[in-house]
Order: sequence, then structure tokens, then C-alpha cells
Amino acid sequence: MHFDQELDASGLPCPMPIVKTKKALAALSSGQVLRVWSTDGATLDDMPTFARHTGNTLLASGEEGGRYYFLLKKA
Amino acid sequence: MAATPADLSTVVVGGGFAVAFVFGAVASRVNFCTMGALSDVVNMGHWGRVRMWLLAIAVAMAGATLLRLGGWVDLPKAVALRPQLPLLSLVVGGVLFGVGMTLSGGCVNKNLLRLGAGSLRSLVVLVFMGLASYMTLKGLFGQWRVTLLDPVRIDLAASGWPDQGLSTAAAQLFGLPAQQALMLTAGVVVLALLAFVFLDRGFRANTAQMLGGAALGGLVVCGWYVSGHLGFGESPQTLENIYFATNTRTVESLSFVAPVGYTLELLMLWTDQSLRVTFGIASVLGMVAGAAAYALAAGRFRWEGFGSLADLRSQLIGAVLMGFGGVTALGCTVGQGLTGVSTLAIGSFIAVAAIVAGCVGTLKWLLWKAESDD
Repeated sequence: MHFDQELDASGLPCPMPIVKTKKALAALSSGQVLRVWSTDGATLDDMPTFARHTGNTLLASGEEGGRYYFLLKKA
Repeated sequence: MAATPADLSTVVVGGGFAVAFVFGAVASRVNFCTMGALSDVVNMGHWGRVRMWLLAIAVAMAGATLLRLGGWVDLPKAVALRPQLPLLSLVVGGVLFGVGMTLSGGCVNKNLLRLGAGSLRSLVVLVFMGLASYMTLKGLFGQWRVTLLDPVRIDLAASGWPDQGLSTAAAQLFGLPAQQALMLTAGVVVLALLAFVFLDRGFRANTAQMLGGAALGGLVVCGWYVSGHLGFGESPQTLENIYFATNTRTVESLSFVAPVGYTLELLMLWTDQSLRVTFGIASVLGMVAGAAAYALAAGRFRWEGFGSLADLRSQLIGAVLMGFGGVTALGCTVGQGLTGVSTLAIGSFIAVAAIVAGCVGTLKWLLWKAESDD
């Protein structure tokens, strides 16, 4: 799936994946897509909650090579 | 036939393990994390997990009050309710714990859950946190705590207060009988919490968080019952009634900072016959086992290490701050933030406010740092 920017938050514990995602999204324009990688299991719950409560859209998520990925479309 | 001391100790240890096992599984299922809850507020403006925490407090408070009113548990004997208010220790310890739990990716409760889910990073955090907690109980940090912080205290006993509960404050201020003051105070606080929690439509629609919050609060009540009722019996040595298998030698419920230190002590001094598995130690092990059971059942178990040297440094600093702060403030986000406040102890509310302040301040600093790092 297409994405405009990528953020690797692997190895970072909560709350850093969310903090860095928030910062990365702020640099994007509306409609652009950010792909986030994380190894923290808490992001499985945190990222959908973050998307829901900040108005951004979680387009897809999954696991690949022992890491989690999330595709977020900026509102 | 009366239960023997060995029977009572087994009941307390087994009960502590069982209560914490369920707590660990439920907390993992509903992602209960006090630092995460505050991070949700700071980073997303979302109060869902804070509401779950407050619901757990309301249930724990209602249940603990019923245990006290029914005469099942002599709650004023709990450490949190002692009629001395070590103000500086509560504030400094609470703030440092709040800073530490944010640097460590979660409080002690969360790191126990992570360890159960395969995080070796959390194992290292817990070992360092446990060392710092033990140093604060009996070592160098303890000397600093006792000489610099603990002396700044209000001796409520000198003013005739039997304990430091909010209900005792109400009884003293308004001249109410103790039981009436307890019912009134607990009723007002519990109803206020429930109103805040359930006035939110989004929270009412989240069944998992509602059930999770209620269950976690209920488990704190179970902990009080196990150590304070089932484990209360006659000592064969002194023929006095004592609380069996607790580190504080009085009634306890779930708390994790000092118990992790006591777990390390037991492991290191295993052949010392004076040391035994206690309610606190069993609850530490139960938490990890419950979290592991959930992680394996849900397919979420995975080995995890440190991401970088910067990550390791941040986690270790946080671990030491948590160990020192947690013991100094007489508990962590569970020990004070659920168990302590369930007794209506004034000091527990002060400690929780300090923990929240330390955590929120650090979260805002991390956010500012991330935004200014380019």
C-alpha cells in the first residue's frame, strides 16, 4: 500500500511510538499517509485509539518480520 | 479444627497469587496502564483509560468500605491509614515515581505485565527497580529517605486522629460518629467518581473497559479480604492475633514496588529461614503468570529487548526513580493509586496527585523534546 513517509519506532516503549507518530503526522499534509513500525505490543491497542481520537484514519495494520506496522492517513 | 499457621500462610500466599493472576490477565486484556492512561490524555485528549482507572478506584473504595463497615477487615491497621502524614516523602516520592514510570515505558504494574508477555527489557527494569526499592527500604537510599524526607510529617495521632482517612477528617471537622462519617465520605467520593466515569457516552459503550475497571477494583477488595480476614489468626508464639504472611505484618492488598524488592531479597537469601513467601511476593509472581497466560492465549507473547543505548539509559534511570519514589511515597500507581485510595487515606490522594504531576510533566517534556529534535 502507498505511503508518503515512514517512521521506525521499533525498540521504543510506550509512550514514544505515539509521541513520534504525533510529531511525524504534524509534518504531513492532509490526505498523506504515514507508515509506522513498532515492536511495542501496546501499540496494537494505542494506535487505533490514537487514530480514532485525533481524527486520522487507520488504513491498515499488521505484523511483518516480528514488527507491527500501521498505515495512518492524516485528516 | 482451627487452621494452623502454616494453613493460614498458605491461604494468604495462594490467595495473593490467585488475585494477582486474575489481575494480570484482566489488566493485559484491557490494556490497563496508568502511564498509558495519562499519555492518552496528554497526546490524544482521550480519557477512556483514566475513566477505567477511576472506575476501579470507585469499586475498590466501595468494597473496602463495606469490608470495614461489616467488621470483616480492620482496615485502619493498613500502612496507608497510619495517623502520620509524611508530606515531603509522599510528594517527592510520588513525583519521582511519576517521572520514572514515564521514562520506563510504564509503572511497575505495566512492567510486570510486559515481562509476562516476554519483555526482557521489563525484566531488567524490574531488577533495577527492585534493587532501588530495597535500597530505599533498608539501604543507602533508605538513610536519605529517613533523614531528609520522612521527618517532614504531620502527626495526626497527636491531634487525636485514630487514622488519616478522609472519613476521620470529616468526623473530626463535623463532629460525626465514625461509622456515619465513613459511609458519608465514601458514598460522596464513590458517587462523584461514578458520575464522572459514566457521564461519558464513549465509555459507556466500551464494555471491555467497564468490566475491566470493575474487575480490577474488585480484585483489590479481594486482596484486602485475603490478607485481612482469611489471613488473620492467632500466632502460636505470642497467642495474639496477627496477619500471616505479609511483609508489613499488617493487612495488605495489591502493591508492587516493595514486593519486587522483597522478591529479590528472598531469591538472594533463600537459605535464610526467617524469610518466607508472602502475599506481596506471591502477587508479583501472580501478576507475571496472569499476564503470561493472557499473552500466550491471545497470541501476543514475544521476546523483546532494548532498542538502543539511549533506550537502555532512559529505562534504567526510570527504574531507579520508580524504586526510590515508590517506597518513599508508600506505594505505586496500584499500591497507592488503587489500594491506598480505596482506604480513603489522605496520604494516598497526595501520593497519587504527585505521581500524576510527575508523569504528566515528563510526558509533556518528551513531547516537547520530540518536536524540537530535528
